[in-house]
Amino acid sequence: MKCEVCTELLEEYLDGELAPHDRDHVDAHLLSCIECSESFAALTAEQEFFARYDREIEVPPFLWTRIAAHTNTRKRTWFGGLFAKTAIAGAIAVLLIAIAIGLVYKSSKPKALAPVVATTSSTTPSPDPVRKSVESVAQKRRKKVRPPIIHTPIDQSDVLSSDLSYLDMDEQDTALHIEQSKILLRSIKNVQISDTDEEIDVTYDKALSRRLLNENVVLRRDAEMKAKYPTKTLLADLEPFLIDIANLPDRARPQDVREIKERVQKTEIVAALLDYQDHGINNR
Amino acid sequence: MNTSADLVTRVCQGDADAFRLIFERYSRPVISFIYDMVNDRALAEELTQETFVRAFRAIHTMRAETKLSTWLFGIARNVARESLRARARAHNHVDLADKSVMDLSDDKPVPVEGLLSKELNTLVRRSLAMLDEDKRLVFTLKVLHQCSYEEIATITGFSLAKLKTDLHRARAEMRKKISPYAGVGYEV
Repeated sequence: MKCEVCTELLEEYLDGELAPHDRDHVDAHLLSCIECSESFAALTAEQEFFARYDREIEVPPFLWTRIAAHTNTRKRTWFGGLFAKTAIAGAIAVLLIAIAIGLVYKSSKPKALAPVVATTSSTTPSPDPVRKSVESVAQKRRKKVRPPIIHTPIDQSDVLSSDLSYLDMDEQDTALHIEQSKILLRSIKNVQISDTDEEIDVTYDKALSRRLLNENVVLRRDAEMKAKYPTKTLLADLEPFLIDIANLPDRARPQDVREIKERVQKTEIVAALLDYQDHGINNR
Repeated sequence: MNTSADLVTRVCQGDADAFRLIFERYSRPVISFIYDMVNDRALAEELTQETFVRAFRAIHTMRAETKLSTWLFGIARNVARESLRARARAHNHVDLADKSVMDLSDDKPVPVEGLLSKELNTLVRRSLAMLDEDKRLVFTLKVLHQCSYEEIATITGFSLAKLKTDLHRARAEMRKKISPYAGVGYEV
């Protein structure tokens, strides 16, 4: 083998990518050629140099939490999908029944009311006020049934936002989360740091922040999925503070705490949380 | 045994713990690879998250014969590339490296034995950042992650000829940048 050929194959040889036949030839050539074997030694040294490269990068502990929030969301979505499917099927069934009742009622309005009155009067002959009251109840019932048929989309949104429904529970969770986060950030904002402090014990704040961070990821994702953009934005703004506090050592350096404190003050995140609490459901 | 293939099967069957094991096993190489590509710690964390979320969503589409690490690196490569493209669009160019890259010590190159590990790391990281994207990609996969040519071709979609050329050129460029410090003067 000529040196030029060996030189061309040397990197692949080092990478262990040569075909056995070529590898044998390079092996043999390196045994007999000092120049090529020196070149190979230099390549190996270079490889060793790069092997010493340490990126000094670690996988942060919160990364899995974030990923889990996304992958759990998928489960929730599936569940949500199932829930939604059931809810839609239920709504359609109710709608169909209501339409059927409405149609039957409309097509035989006099006849439909008559049996009710007739039955009532046949069992207990009642005076006019009672009859009126029965009719009134029937009318009220009709009124209750009608709105979902005619104004289904409007009425459903009203019901979902005002009833103690599944969605409301999410909003209650968010409200509680916001309240606890506000307390945490206020405590950081109001912490007294003196120049003589060597370290500050933030064990409790840190533990609380970790819990709130987990919650925050899930709630933010939920808010995004449900198109509650003001909520999502607020939670996204809140998250970096929770991450920073969660990543403090139990006994933090005063300058680290001071930095967070100053950012809390500068960004007015506490005011944003308060504002969110003050401006009811329309703001969400 | 929790082989990668077993873990993939378990994830497809809805076992959430199996995905966590995959994360624990591969998160470090994935975040390192992304960091090599984007040279930004916070961004590397964010893109690692994106990689694993995408992986979770697409794991049922993974072919049985594909190696899990290769598949994850392929996703990571796409995620990193999208981010670099977005950054390039935003800034008109990708400036991964500081031009004062080689100012590690006073004025003279220090032989490798004299380099502190921190300086060595900075030297490699910044030299890497100065390679163009394709060269950085193949160099990182081969030299820093010890992938085979076949794996690199699967991850990058490059032909064998292209990846060999890019790798050769990347090595030459890296050699040029580190030789004053590492004393590696070999020219190919």
